Amino acid sequence: MTKLNKKEKELVHLLKENARLSSEDLGQMVGLPSSKVQSLIQSWQKDGIILKHTTLFNEEKLESTHDTIRALIEVSIRPEKKTGFDAIARRICKHPNVIDHYLISGNYDFLIIVEGKSLQEISSFVSNTLASIENVRSTGTHFILKKYKENGIALGTEEMENRILVSA
Amino acid sequence: MSPGFSHLIETIPSSGIRRFFDLVASSKDVISLGVGEPDFPTPWPAREEAISSIEQGLTSYTSNSGLIECRRAIAAYIEERFGATYGPEKEIIITNGVSEGVDITLRTLLNPGDEVIVPEPNYVCYAPLIQLAGGKVVAIDTSQTGFLPNKQAIKSAITAKTKAIILCSPNNPTGQVIPKKILKDIADLAENHDFWVIADEIYAELSYDEPFVSFAALEGTFPRTILMNGFSKAFAMTGWRLGYLCAPQEFIARALKIHQYSALCAPIMAQYAAIQALQGMKVVQDMRRSYEMRRNLFVGRLNEMGLDTAMPKGAFYCFPSIQKTGLSSEEFALKLLEKARVAVVPGSVFGLGGEGYVRCCYATHIDLLKEALTRISNFLKKR
Repeated sequence: MTKLNKKEKELVHLLKENARLSSEDLGQMVGLPSSKVQSLIQSWQKDGIILKHTTLFNEEKLESTHDTIRALIEVSIRPEKKTGFDAIARRICKHPNVIDHYLISGNYDFLIIVEGKSLQEISSFVSNTLASIENVRSTGTHFILKKYKENGIALGTEEMENRILVSA
Repeated sequence: MSPGFSHLIETIPSSGIRRFFDLVASSKDVISLGVGEPDFPTPWPAREEAISSIEQGLTSYTSNSGLIECRRAIAAYIEERFGATYGPEKEIIITNGVSEGVDITLRTLLNPGDEVIVPEPNYVCYAPLIQLAGGKVVAIDTSQTGFLPNKQAIKSAITAKTKAIILCSPNNPTGQVIPKKILKDIADLAENHDFWVIADEIYAELSYDEPFVSFAALEGTFPRTILMNGFSKAFAMTGWRLGYLCAPQEFIARALKIHQYSALCAPIMAQYAAIQALQGMKVVQDMRRSYEMRRNLFVGRLNEMGLDTAMPKGAFYCFPSIQKTGLSSEEFALKLLEKARVAVVPGSVFGLGGEGYVRCCYATHIDLLKEALTRISNFLKKR
């Protein structure tokens, strides 16, 4: 585990918000030389701390992705000797339909978020792939009807667009 | 023909900012650095509290000076944050923004012909409100002293008619913060020459490089100090219109006479929201750091492109010098708007010493700030 100082934490925060800031921008903002920012980012990439830089889309505004469907699946597991949940989890999360996969506390064990092109694709994933894995005891599937907030960003709601342009 | 108007109001010029606003509003694809408010919406807990107060039917007037719970929360906050002690019962009035606070303060203090010293450049409301209250503005130009009032300049502005000085620190439009040493000088002058100090500290939470020193926290200043602050800037609550006045009881009792007849009270839902807002200082810190980081980038780049800009120590404005361009601040602002589609506010609207500068607000999304910087830089290269 890498321990971060205050400025490094701020860099992480800024990059999570906006990956397009240059090392010059970031350095000026937090008060570090840009060369230092550059070498930090490079070492984070090398150490697998930064996995990749992606773009967050508002999918609801994109016709091409309108036909994807997401579901949350609760999965109960009978843990295996020695490997517990981990070996089963590795098998499940390799599947391309699986977007997110968590071990959680409470009434069931795994929470899996899956994506598919149709209800059929997801239900086939559940019945043919997931439920057939040994030691998967039961599953419960919840299809997502509407997204209100994702990755900390409320979708399609507030922006300060109504500020008056020039004020005292 | 109408029956006519007050002679006094005819002597007040219309706001320079207002004229410029009309121009900006009619232009397309403009990045505005002319705003004067946070780019964050009010933190959700305060909004939820207001919603809940409305749901509960708490929609009445409050006492003239404001909900006692809200005044208690304010008193505890300014004591803890700034070390200034005011009694919630008799030494605080909750106003409709600091703007109302300035107005009633001046009307409470001034007799016809009384003089009020205003270090300028400064926020645009002081001079007109002094005139409307029957007073006379005695402006001091601070542009040669780092946009800070100094003892000598104030001293030479003092006459037998001097009734008060108005300080806005951290300052709109320059972003400069009056250091403790100068505050103490001002406190001495006020005591020796017997005048009031009106301390508008609305940007107090937005002080970046050093802990903020409130004038009201200095020893011995209490009897002649009127402290003004509010929720607009630090708590991103501009539209709620909520400020407060803290002062000795003899002042508050008189100011309350104007407030009770002209405003009655501040909106009750805003007061409930404010009580909640004061519980959430973490988000205030986060917003402050966000402005600070944008300040570092924006002011750094302005200097790199040759617009000399003193590093502002507070608020969310910077005040670059445009003197090298040979343009007046109004010409610069108009040309920048027309050619580069970036709106800034001409420094001349902020009084003496503002000519030769423009005010830029960096409380704007970082991508827009960067685009604005590119546009300003191209504009300067083409000249």
